[in-house]
Order: sequence, then C-alpha cells, then structure tokens
Amino acid sequence: MVLEATMICIDNSEWMRNGDYSPSRFQAQADAVSLICGAKTQSNPENTVGILTMAGKGVRVLATPTSDLGKILSCMHGLEMGGETNLAAGILIAQLALKHRQNKNQQQRIIVFAGSPIKHERKALEIIGKKLKKNSVALDIVNFGEEEDGKPEKLEALLGSVNNNDTSHMVHVPPGQNALSDVLISTPVFTGDGEGGSGFAAAAAAAAAAGGVSDFDFGVDPNIDPELALALRVSMEEERARQEAAAKKAAEEAQPQSESQNATSTATEKVSDPMDEDDLLKQAVALSMNIPGSDSSAGDAQMSEATNDDQELALALQMSMQDGSKDSSAPSDVSKVLGDQSFMSSILSSLPGVDPNDPNVKDLLASLLGQSEPQEKKDEDEQPKDDK
Amino acid sequence: MSAAESATAVQRSQVDLLDFIDWSGVECLNQSSSHSLSNALKQGYREDEGLNLESDADEQLLIYIPFTQVIKLHSVVVMGSEEEGPKTVKLFANREHMGFSNVSDFPPSDTAVLSSDNLKGKPVVLKYVKFQNVRSLTIFIEDNQSGSEITKIQKIALYGSTVETTDMKGLKKIEDH
Repeated sequence: MVLEATMICIDNSEWMRNGDYSPSRFQAQADAVSLICGAKTQSNPENTVGILTMAGKGVRVLATPTSDLGKILSCMHGLEMGGETNLAAGILIAQLALKHRQNKNQQQRIIVFAGSPIKHERKALEIIGKKLKKNSVALDIVNFGEEEDGKPEKLEALLGSVNNNDTSHMVHVPPGQNALSDVLISTPVFTGDGEGGSGFAAAAAAAAAAGGVSDFDFGVDPNIDPELALALRVSMEEERARQEAAAKKAAEEAQPQSESQNATSTATEKVSDPMDEDDLLKQAVALSMNIPGSDSSAGDAQMSEATNDDQELALALQMSMQDGSKDSSAPSDVSKVLGDQSFMSSILSSLPGVDPNDPNVKDLLASLLGQSEPQEKKDEDEQPKDDK
Repeated sequence: MSAAESATAVQRSQVDLLDFIDWSGVECLNQSSSHSLSNALKQGYREDEGLNLESDADEQLLIYIPFTQVIKLHSVVVMGSEEEGPKTVKLFANREHMGFSNVSDFPPSDTAVLSSDNLKGKPVVLKYVKFQNVRSLTIFIEDNQSGSEITKIQKIALYGSTVETTDMKGLKKIEDH
C-alpha cells in the first residue's frame, strides 16, 4: 500500500514488430502496461502512473503521472512503432517527470521495458543509476524481446547502481508460450516488494489462468463487484430451492402408495409424509409465530437455518426428529394459527413452490385443523385424488 | 573576540533545538542506508563517535528538517573527521522538498565553510537576521574536506530559540454546561 508515483518507459522501436511473443512484442508489452497501471492504482488510490515512449522520433511523454486510469489506457492507443530506443534519455526524462509530480510525498519509481538492443555503454548506465539512487528513485527493469550479447550485463550494472535496499528489481522474460503479463504478475514488479497489490495480482492471475472470466461463479469477479456476485449467488440458491420443492411435489404425486404406508405409523407422520410442503408450512408458521414446543429448542435453531438455506435439508431434519416423538401438542397450537384463513393464504402465497389453489394444499389445511382420526380419513380421501 | 561572544551567546539564551524537530518529516537524500541521519541528529547517537551519517552514491548530502513550531536559528554545530567531514555547508530556510537539481536555483540563506575547529565542535554562528522565522531547515553538504567519495558526519546540532507560537495541544474544548 505504499504511496508511489510511477513512470513506465515503453519500447516502441522497430524491434517490437517481432512475433516471438504472441501476438507481437508490442502488443504483449501493451497488455503488461495496462495490467501494471491497474495494479498500481488499485493498491493505493492515490498512486499515480505516467507513460512515455523511448523510440520513435525521440522520447515522448504520453501521460504525466496521473491516477486517472482511463487517460493512461487511452494514450496507449494508436502508438506507432519505429526508430531506435534511447534508454538513457528515456530514464532521465522519466526522472524529470517524477520530480515534477504533484504530491511530493509519493515514492518515485520508474519501470523500463528493455526490448531492443542497448547502444549505451555500461559506464553511462552506471552513472544514470547512481543519479537515480541519489534522488531516491527506484527502478524496475523488464528484460524481454531482443537478446544481445552484453545486454543482461549492462542491465545488471544499471540495477546494481540504482538498487537501494532491494527496492529495485529486474525481470527476464524469455519468449515462449506464456504471455508477458502472466510472467510479470508473479514478480515484484506487480507485487510491489511483497506487500499490497497481491490481491489484484491473484485475481488477475486466476482470470488469466482460466483464459477469461469463467474462473469465478456467474462470470463476476467478487473482488471487483462483490455486491453483484452476492446477489447472483443468492438468487441462484433461491431458484434452486424452489425447483427442488417443485420437483419434490411432483415426485410425491407419482408415489402415493409408498407414502401412504408410511402414514400409518404415527399421526403426525401420516400428515407430514405425504405432503412435504405441509412440513415446511408448519415449520414456517411455527417459526414465524415463535411457538415453543413445536420442536426442541435446538431443533428450532437447526430448522430456522435449514429453512433459510435448504428446504430439502429441513425436511430431512424434521423427519428424523419426528421419528418416535409424540408431536400431538404441536399441531393443536399450530392449528389455531392455521385456522386463520387470511393469514394462511398470505403465508402460502409467499412460500415458493406452493400454490394456494392447489387442491392438495387445501386438503392439507383442512386436515390440520381437524383431529388425528379425521386426518386418517382425509389421507384416504387424498389417495384417490393423488391416483388421478 | 567574536569566538568568545558566540560562545557566550550560545550559553545565554539559545537552546538545543532537538526537542522541536518534527521527526516524522525529517528526510535525507543520498544517505547510506546503514549510516542514516539519526546517527547524526538523535540524542545519544550523535555523541557516539562510531556512529556517523554517511553519504552513498557521491559526497553530497541533502538534509531536510522540519520543526514543530517556528524557531529562530542562531548557530549550528557540525562535527566530523578531519578528512571526510563536510567542508561547504549551505543552509536554506523554509524551502520544502528540495532536490539536488534545484540547490543552485536560489541563493542559500547562509553558507559556511567548516574549519577543523568547527569539525571538533565549535559552533558556526549564522546570519541571525536570515533565520528569524524558520519552519523548516534544509542543509546541503556540497563537498568534504579531502574530496573523497564519501562524506561522514558525526554530529549535527542546532541552537536557537523559539518564537511564541500557539501550542495546539494546550487548546481545550470549551465544556458545555
């Protein structure tokens, strides 16, 4: 989270037309620059980034250090390749641009993309490095592209004369399968001396590795838009629960026989087993009215969580709890509530997957209001209807 | 005569301004990371002859010292070794964020060429009229005694007096009754 002003020196010389990095060296470099800008501005909102080109007709500053990411990315468009890179002039002008930054509290950093052969002597580079160190400017060098005898040594000498307490780094990126930006993400260029920025880097790495956005559920990165990701996830779960309830109801109607046999065990089980929605209905009503004794207190907590998250789980819990338990008092409490028709219809309409006009549901209500013996009769009545 | 006067002046009304230095804003350009400014400024460190402020890439140093309140600067003491101690010292009052490139852009408030007596601890009396209203001080060490690559400073002490300024910590909120 260090407050930093960065100048990125881009190599736009003729050597960048080469295609040994896909799609071309220049394009790979542009992608890396965009990622760096994003990482810097994300790690600290007050960070500023500027861009200059080192080749072409001469060193040209495209953007002075600014925190406006859009402006930085737009100035990368329409860049022409050509000419030879003037590394020394590029670094010195970058240092000048940093000297005139608006916020003097920012640390100064220069990131250089060294993709073409270096025509300067080692001595000259060392002098430049010392000047940077004297003015406490850190330097990151990305060595890619053209490989020339003596280039790594020159760059090492430059790094050595600049480096103060490991604030400056060099990265070698050989040509190959991996894109330039992917290799850079794991380096200190992105992670900024091991602190900050790694959240963005990790997210970007995940996105890059998956070849796009599909690494995250619903195609939305929780890091970027947590509210949208959360909303999508919740609506997905609700839809899934609703579909499960509907599927269960369809399954019950297809298997009335097996369920009617289960109904002979206990009174409440007769009522609850054939109609799973009845269970959920009772639970929902009991919970909303906060009726004690409808379940054990521990079961209440379990049930409330279960109904919120997974209706199937709630059903399983209730069935296991009702095994061997005389729940006769519960229906009577609940039945008073169920007697209030307007209240019941409003509750029913709010439950997903329950249609108040469904004859099965209506019979359920009627049966709950009655006693256990009428419930048995109702079950028998319901069975012929289910057979239809 | 002037030496005796300056010595008594230091004793008379001038205090060591160490207490009024705003440590959060103190900066030093081109210092070596193992031999930093605290070795020369801080109480205890500056008395130790083994602990020096050393320059890094070349022999110049740029030290920026802000103060917690406005002071008048009377004299400075700069101690160092015979060969590697500083020679030409330029002082700038109330200039923020100077760099090595703009030290020659404006004239210093005062310049001192240190003799071997100064390096042993004799205070350098400054042009008092130029330092009447000092919020921050920038010390530019241009070269050292022998012209070597590294300048070493053992102690820097500032003597002066304070101007009556409001102590913000003493301000208390009026209690509502």
